Amino acid sequence: MTALLEINDLGTGYGDVKVLHGVSIALEKGKVTAVLGANGAGKTTLFRTIAGLLPCMSGRVRFQGEDIGVLASHKRVEKGVVLVPEGRLVFPDLTVAENLRLGAINVRARAHSDDTLKTVMALFPRLEERKSQYAGTLSGGEQQMLALGRGLMAMPRVLLLDEPTLGLAPGIAKQIFSTIPELLDFGLSILIAEQDVRSTLKIADYGYVLENGLVGITGDGESLVRSPLVAQAFLGH
Amino acid sequence: MTVLRSDLAFFAGLAILAGFGLSVGSLFGTYWVIVALNFAMWIALTQSWALFSGLTGYISLGNVVFYGLGAYTVAVSFKVLPLWVAVPMGGLVAAVFALMIAVPALRVRGPYFVILTFGISELVKYSILNLETYLGKSSRLLFGAPSAEAVLYTMIALAVASSVLMRLVKSSTFGRGLVAIQGDETSAETVGIPVTRFKVMGFTLSAFIPGMVGGLMALRSTYFEVLQVFNPFISFTIVTMAIIGGSNDARGPILGAAFLVFLSELLWSSAPRLYMILLGAFLIAFVLLAPSGLVGLLRKYGEGHSK
Repeated sequence: MTALLEINDLGTGYGDVKVLHGVSIALEKGKVTAVLGANGAGKTTLFRTIAGLLPCMSGRVRFQGEDIGVLASHKRVEKGVVLVPEGRLVFPDLTVAENLRLGAINVRARAHSDDTLKTVMALFPRLEERKSQYAGTLSGGEQQMLALGRGLMAMPRVLLLDEPTLGLAPGIAKQIFSTIPELLDFGLSILIAEQDVRSTLKIADYGYVLENGLVGITGDGESLVRSPLVAQAFLGH
Repeated sequence: MTVLRSDLAFFAGLAILAGFGLSVGSLFGTYWVIVALNFAMWIALTQSWALFSGLTGYISLGNVVFYGLGAYTVAVSFKVLPLWVAVPMGGLVAAVFALMIAVPALRVRGPYFVILTFGISELVKYSILNLETYLGKSSRLLFGAPSAEAVLYTMIALAVASSVLMRLVKSSTFGRGLVAIQGDETSAETVGIPVTRFKVMGFTLSAFIPGMVGGLMALRSTYFEVLQVFNPFISFTIVTMAIIGGSNDARGPILGAAFLVFLSELLWSSAPRLYMILLGAFLIAFVLLAPSGLVGLLRKYGEGHSK
């Protein structure tokens, strides 16, 4: 077993406030790995640190064996580590097509942007319909599709999905969940953080439970669903 | 990429405006040369401001510093360097200065950036004032400067260049990256936009033409006085024009400059106080009622008709 993305003993935080105290996670190629945890457990902090938005204060972030912990965000995107941030942060003053095109700004993706754009439009026909509309005028679900599509435009090898269904209507959330396994066909691997533990464990091959900035329980999706601790903490029985 | 019809219309309009500007002297006389010069100058300054501040949302309140540095470069090198070297050199000095302050200045956002840029321009103003006093120069006279027409022609070239630049940047990946930075800087990073590099490049690019404009205006006024060329009122006027015209589209600065230049022509000599009152009233009205400026109104009107 070779890990595509390997996080070792990662510690970080905001100034003097430490949020992560030594988190270790391994992501296998072609798999969906879930990071579960309550609000404030450090999921978003972990994702932001992997993407380079927060400094890695201790420990290592290795991608394909290479230490990427000191690289600037855009360099990590160029390597193929792409974050779709929490809260559907699309660019409101640009059109849907312009948002998608910007996703392919890194050198590796730019050359293939026309082909990738077609694939993304096929995956989300809604985006094709609204391609010349300003992103700020889209509905919440459409913005999430756009954020996902924009992430795919970067031709990621690892896609980090931070709370992709946060604040979405249940029907749309379900639709997003059903799309995630399809994304694996692009030859990428997914790390997902979600509040909706039940739906996430259904699609996840492996999961980690974060508690107060530390990894608590780990296991494959199946065993986590059956774990009484997970059941008690997240599934409400 | 094909040239769009709206691009053609824009460039044709720009060419007509420039042609008209070039011929005002022979058509209407010297007075209008001065008005046209003024108009072209404000277009070049506001367009350059919009290129960075309009696209990224980093509002600079200190763009006079680029103008002043350009003017100072030309004044100091007058009769030492030929003008075709000195004026671009003014632009270069302004751009290098922008490059130097960009990295520290662009770490702060919002109101802090506004105050910082204002502070930097005041700092440079008083530093040069002290330097000039130390050198024993209270002001510098520039004897034998070129004619008003020659200055006008060059200024029109700068106004056209800044407008074309804005138009090209706006529709490029670089320009969209700048707009993305305005939308959300964190997301811009996650998309892979080299945010710092883009901001530094945009800021530096937006300083070059104002530096040349300042150099030209020093030649126009035939003397150099620190407090005058670093007058913060120039920065305020640029921002006012950008707000009234709209600053996320190359048409905005042209409309904003036209509006204020002609309003002041109309009222400045006959009713200067009324002019200042009206200026304030218009500024408030635009900020409250039409935040995307005249160009925003134009767009809305256009959409209403195409439906």
